[in-house]
Amino acid sequence: MAQKTWAEKLEGRIPEDLGREIEIFSTQMELRRREEVDERLFAETRLRRGVYGQRYDNGQRHDGVKNRTLPYDDRPTKGPETMWDAPGMVRIKIPYGKLTTEQMDVLAELAEDYSDSISHITTRQDIQLHFVQIDDTPDLMRRLAAVGITTREACGNSVRNVTACHLAGVCKTETFDVTPYAEALMRFLLGHPDVQDFGRKFKPALSGCAHEACGLVNMHDMGLVAKTRVVDGKEQRGFAYYVGGGLGAIPHPAQLLDDFVTEDEILPLTQAVSRVFARLGEKENRGRARIKFLVAKLGIEEFRRLVVEERAQLPHDPQWTAYLDDLSDYAEKPRRDAAAIDASEEASYSKAFLAWRKTNVRPQRQDGYAVATVKLPLGDITSDQMRSLADVAREFTDGHVRLTVEQNIVLRWVTEADLPRLHAALEAVDLAAAGAETIQDITSCPGTDTCKLGIASSRGLAAELTRHVGGLNGDNDEALKGLRIKASGCFNSCGQHHISDLGFYGISRKKGGRLVPHFQVVLGGKWIGNGGSFGLATLAIPSKNIPEVVRRVTGRYVAEREPDESFTDFIGRLGKVEVKSYLQDLTEVPAYETDPSYYSDWGDPREYSMDDYGEGECAGEIVPLVEFGLQASEREVFEAQLYFDSGDLAKAREMAYRAMLTAAKALVKTEFLDITDDPDHIVTEFRNRFHETKRFHDRFAGAKFASYLFQAHEVGGNGGRPEQARERVEEAQLFIEAAYACYEKMSTTGAPA
Amino acid sequence: MSSGATSALESPEVSVKLFVVDSTGVRLEELIPVFHRWIKEDLLDDELQIDVANYEHVPKGPGVVLICDKAHYYFDVRAGRAGLRYRGRREARAAGAEAVTRAFRSALHAARLLEADPLLEGRYRFRTDEVEFGIYDRLLAPSDVGTLVAIRPELEEAVRGLYCTDDAAIELSSSPKEPFMVTVKSGASPSVEELLGRLSAAKG
Repeated sequence: MAQKTWAEKLEGRIPEDLGREIEIFSTQMELRRREEVDERLFAETRLRRGVYGQRYDNGQRHDGVKNRTLPYDDRPTKGPETMWDAPGMVRIKIPYGKLTTEQMDVLAELAEDYSDSISHITTRQDIQLHFVQIDDTPDLMRRLAAVGITTREACGNSVRNVTACHLAGVCKTETFDVTPYAEALMRFLLGHPDVQDFGRKFKPALSGCAHEACGLVNMHDMGLVAKTRVVDGKEQRGFAYYVGGGLGAIPHPAQLLDDFVTEDEILPLTQAVSRVFARLGEKENRGRARIKFLVAKLGIEEFRRLVVEERAQLPHDPQWTAYLDDLSDYAEKPRRDAAAIDASEEASYSKAFLAWRKTNVRPQRQDGYAVATVKLPLGDITSDQMRSLADVAREFTDGHVRLTVEQNIVLRWVTEADLPRLHAALEAVDLAAAGAETIQDITSCPGTDTCKLGIASSRGLAAELTRHVGGLNGDNDEALKGLRIKASGCFNSCGQHHISDLGFYGISRKKGGRLVPHFQVVLGGKWIGNGGSFGLATLAIPSKNIPEVVRRVTGRYVAEREPDESFTDFIGRLGKVEVKSYLQDLTEVPAYETDPSYYSDWGDPREYSMDDYGEGECAGEIVPLVEFGLQASEREVFEAQLYFDSGDLAKAREMAYRAMLTAAKALVKTEFLDITDDPDHIVTEFRNRFHETKRFHDRFAGAKFASYLFQAHEVGGNGGRPEQARERVEEAQLFIEAAYACYEKMSTTGAPA
Repeated sequence: MSSGATSALESPEVSVKLFVVDSTGVRLEELIPVFHRWIKEDLLDDELQIDVANYEHVPKGPGVVLICDKAHYYFDVRAGRAGLRYRGRREARAAGAEAVTRAFRSALHAARLLEADPLLEGRYRFRTDEVEFGIYDRLLAPSDVGTLVAIRPELEEAVRGLYCTDDAAIELSSSPKEPFMVTVKSGASPSVEELLGRLSAAKG
């Protein structure tokens, strides 16, 4: 018997809360198809479900000669200037990059079924699928949910993926394993009411130590660095707590909010930070809405004072510390007993194995075990490779892998004795490339390949540079090998160019009336020390000259560096003026007639143009929290109508009542953030704040609409006679209209909304 | 049995891959300007052509992909075998044997364009004695013998119409975790042009 739908096939395997969220999203899609939800609101709704736009989804594409309209079917948009049928991107949050082999199998399937058989690992340990149809997204989400993955809040103005060191728990230099804390933070913040009203996204990161790079805390909105201290002779765990870091056009280093926050305080403190950000963060100007601008505006002292004040007022939540009882559950168990590699076999190993072992393998804290890095070209892995890698992980590891912020995958708990066999298994599926975390391991965001904001082809450049670096000056120079190259398609820094030795971000310049793709060259950023310092932007160079920039700069470093001088220090010593003069001739663009290749980007033969450049969705839409609440109430009344139509009158009554509660709660929340989901609480607060004050009264109908809620509440939601179901649904509709009218009045009179 | 025949061939996600005769002449990077030109000159009938995705850096991967609204065209090197793959994405254009025939027609049409493309200088020729047919729909077409049994009559009908013979062998070629795939092997290897001619005649 054929399965009819994924929902049916996966019945019983999808956690109830995730299943309900996906159903809600499906309903929202249906409402948007009927144009019963505003496109702006729907855009932010889908973004918060990880469903992103993609280049050319505005229906415009430049073919190298002229702008062409892509004649998609005439359907409602899925956001401002965003065609419904245009393929888009789905971002899948993988908290701290940890994946089970079962999850890998499912991801491989999804990439094949809904995308183009490629899973793209991002610089924040997410996985992105491109060219996905929005109509496929509910099923995609169901299949993810069945293996415990959600896309919720992967995009939009929300808390993004919680990232952490990929070596957490096995690292020789970590203070302690941050994994359980990352998990707790993720669970606590996901869908939390206090993180729903941000003006911009909020990215958290955790690091096990201060000196390595893995967690990149210095460039995050909030970051935790593991620390311990001794109190009364006992070791106490905690974290240095940072806020306000970020890259973007102008990078901000994170500020120290508190030098030592005990482990039981990190969740409430984060809640307090979130509340301050939601309350005082910029909402109108998205270019200044990240928390880094708020911290800079207030100063860290004032920001700290506000957070401490907010923390003192928070109602206690048992979730803050509940996870601390389960810390030991996160201890990983290796598949095999530790075993050292057989030294007597050393001479028999292939060159390829030795090269791979040198760059891709590092010993674990636990003797006899190693971490092996699978270096992925541009962060891409095919579905066939993903499945094979899952099999490899089953055989050699504890059954997990972790994604890294350098767009790779690591296998942990491999016994050292197994390394030759592991290498052979990886080689069989083309995943044994050496050079991980070296100059050959170039990071790139999607850039103009798929991103709506991309200005130049960062992936094209990265692919080109990858071909070049193998033969660079001093290929065998150890100092050169450790350098990092990172490219972003625009100034938004998804490729993390600021914290690499050689960074590039896409820009454009005009020459003889034609646009020429360029990259701004950023030199001397610091990867270690959690993204310790930012590089210097030097000058704009045409894309086609960037490989020569790399050749020259690295060549000079090899030739002129002092013993043990880092690249950052070397660039600092040379100074911006000297670097600029050294590269100045590369800024020249030949005339189009002399060399038209400069007027196309890497990997794209079209003559370069920005005419089809779309509106980006990185920032999401600024939608006040109350509008989400009112939209949710509309969705619920729609569901009530569906129940009524199907003859389930009890459910119709109950859902209509719930819709009124949701609308009332949305209004109350504009003044009282701590409103709970308890119906009595909502009705009481609504009565006191909106009914008694007559703010909810209609000019002609007076208290009529409010009375619908009170009456329904009195009979206990689904009480009443069956024939009253239709009445209840209609009342709910009117109540919601009145709630919108009330919100409108509040907005125009300047009352809090 | 895993699914009904009609259901599996109602999926829009049918695929046909034609392998090149000589893969030593294949250079993925040269397919990029070719597909961009197809978009510019609107060379694929019935397709809204959108963009080109380049995965030449991924070994044995999807290669270079022409992204369209209702289907994608890959020049892929999956499993180390270079070829042109038509892959339906949404809104099934037909069902049953007609769905198979339409997928073949789309793949053959694209293959003919590649064979004749001036940039490729006639180095891309396609063999037809072995073709891969697939359904990228794990709900309707799980990768197992049950699916093959269910679709075999209609698949054979379509293949017979195409090859004008009953001797084509159809075998399941995918593992349970992969998308459903079969290889269709025929004793003859008519040209792409010839097969398209047969399909046109049958249609007419």
